[in-house]
Amino acid sequence: MFLQQIFNGLTLGGIYAMIAVGYTMIYGVIQLINFAHGEIYMLGAFFAFTFINFLGLPFYAAFVLSMACCAVCGMLLDIVAYRPLRQSPRLAALITAIGMSIFLQNLAMIIWGSRPVPFPQQVVPAYFEKTAVTFAGVNLSWFQLFIFGVTIFMMLGLNLIILKTRWGKAMRAVAQNKTMAALTGIHVNQVITWTFALAGALGAAAGILVGAYYNALYPTMGYVAGVKAFAAAVLGGIGSVPGAMLGGVVLGVAEALGAGYLSSLYRDGISYAVMIIVIVFIPAGFFGKLIRESKKSI
Amino acid sequence: MGKLAVPKMSLGGKVKTGFLILALILPALPWVTQYMIHVVILIYLYMILALGLNIVPGFNGLLDLGYVGFYGIGAYTSGLLTVHFGFSYWLIIPLAFVNGAIWGILLGAPTLRLTGDYFAIVTFGFSELVVLFLTNEIWLTRGPLGLPGIAPPGIDLSWIGGPNWEFYGELPYYYLIIAMVLLTVFVMHRIQDSRLGRAWFAVRDDELAAVSCGVNLLTYKVIAFAISAAFGAVGGSFFARWVTFLSPDMFKFWESFLVLCMIVLGGMGNIWGVMVGAAVLVSLSEILRELLPLVGLPAEVRFLAFGLIMVFMMRFRPAGLMPIPAVAAQMRAGRVKRKKS
Repeated sequence: MFLQQIFNGLTLGGIYAMIAVGYTMIYGVIQLINFAHGEIYMLGAFFAFTFINFLGLPFYAAFVLSMACCAVCGMLLDIVAYRPLRQSPRLAALITAIGMSIFLQNLAMIIWGSRPVPFPQQVVPAYFEKTAVTFAGVNLSWFQLFIFGVTIFMMLGLNLIILKTRWGKAMRAVAQNKTMAALTGIHVNQVITWTFALAGALGAAAGILVGAYYNALYPTMGYVAGVKAFAAAVLGGIGSVPGAMLGGVVLGVAEALGAGYLSSLYRDGISYAVMIIVIVFIPAGFFGKLIRESKKSI
Repeated sequence: MGKLAVPKMSLGGKVKTGFLILALILPALPWVTQYMIHVVILIYLYMILALGLNIVPGFNGLLDLGYVGFYGIGAYTSGLLTVHFGFSYWLIIPLAFVNGAIWGILLGAPTLRLTGDYFAIVTFGFSELVVLFLTNEIWLTRGPLGLPGIAPPGIDLSWIGGPNWEFYGELPYYYLIIAMVLLTVFVMHRIQDSRLGRAWFAVRDDELAAVSCGVNLLTYKVIAFAISAAFGAVGGSFFARWVTFLSPDMFKFWESFLVLCMIVLGGMGNIWGVMVGAAVLVSLSEILRELLPLVGLPAEVRFLAFGLIMVFMMRFRPAGLMPIPAVAAQMRAGRVKRKKS
């Protein structure tokens, strides 16, 4: 039972980690809490739903296409909403982020309706439901293994991009110092937009996995998931990509254990509480640098 | 000569007096329906909330996303004290005020040391925890079933041999809330011009300069947050006694967002501006609530418009429709710098 909870938590945590990485990357490059990130995750799930239901695409194709669409959405979000405010006080960008989040949520409500819709089960490979491994009383379904696989693949891929490519190098440079990065010939705005694309694609993947795993899509799903992922990012130390990964996994396990042993009613409350406690007592998280108030927030 | 000089009223003063008179005689006007009175009460209630929230983003430059948490605390304080102990509303107002302030201090003292965006997210988490608590602690709040049967306020004069008069219909509430709005506006004006208010503005304009002048950042921010929370709780206490039914759903994040939107629209830091913002947005919200079902959309979709308002305001008029110069200058500062370089 205990181990089962741990593994359920790991499944969930991997998904949180994928969203949290998006938050942390965006915070890294422009020091903005992108509240609309949860909505990108929701859009990812709904795009996949639409591709499967209306275009008749198979699961994996819809998965990849939806990621691509969300990458574009992320870029658009940056270009339309955030880029004009690059020089504005942080409060302005933060308010815009909340506005965009609410806007996208309600747009989704207009397009897909406010009731939860089931994920089209016929395209999800049938063996996903079956138990793949059983050991020490723990049952892992193929789907859970698939989620682990996708998570690990994405995280390794992301690390590769950030550490080994020119583009990743540019991203790290922008995160350290925008002016210096611009002086060395990096097109800062482009790098930021591409970061949004990367974050959007990861968020979409997480959204599709959650939608298919819980078999329910609804326009407000990004709201809670977004906050939890943000909590994970804070736990890991905001701005740190490995931190966000670890934070997501830890939060997922904490939530599964808390829901299993303390109170399932406060399932969502556990993330909020963890977030507040971490922010108050160890604001640097696991790997983050302590952020001091260097710029005015308004 | 020798005559007393009658102080001349400025144009703004005349407009404000005109609005006050209009507000006082509004229920007597012939074409005003009960529903309109209801909506106007709602507008006044949101004015109190917006004025309360205004202290944090407007006077201090910090983003508070969890205002509805204090509103909910005030509402349930009022509801529970009425249902279980039969407290008089006149006693509940100060109690709600104090309870809101206590929670404001409890949340603010540890978190206001943090940077602005961390503070924003903590307040958000707090308000979500409040809703979860209200939903799940069924022994106290009856959870999702809601808390019905909250007695309306009354004026009990039986202790001096007078009548015991209980509020009935919308009218008494209407005048009660007008009195509360006037009191709130008065307090806000006094605070704004006091040492406290000036210290807040200094913090908002430049923290470093404020510290150098001997302003203790944490203390002043906590005071601001506590006062803001207290006004939110007072608004909630009125809400509970007015609708006489509470449910945790009433205190979702949407409400915080709506109040924040009012401030952004009206002009952060401008007392009259946020009141106008409240009037505009509550009216818009009610109109959309009527119109949207006609075109086959759920009424919640009206928040789409509010989201867009916020995005466009930040893009084109970041200091609001009625900006105050200091905030406008600050919001412009970055852009000017960009032009120079």
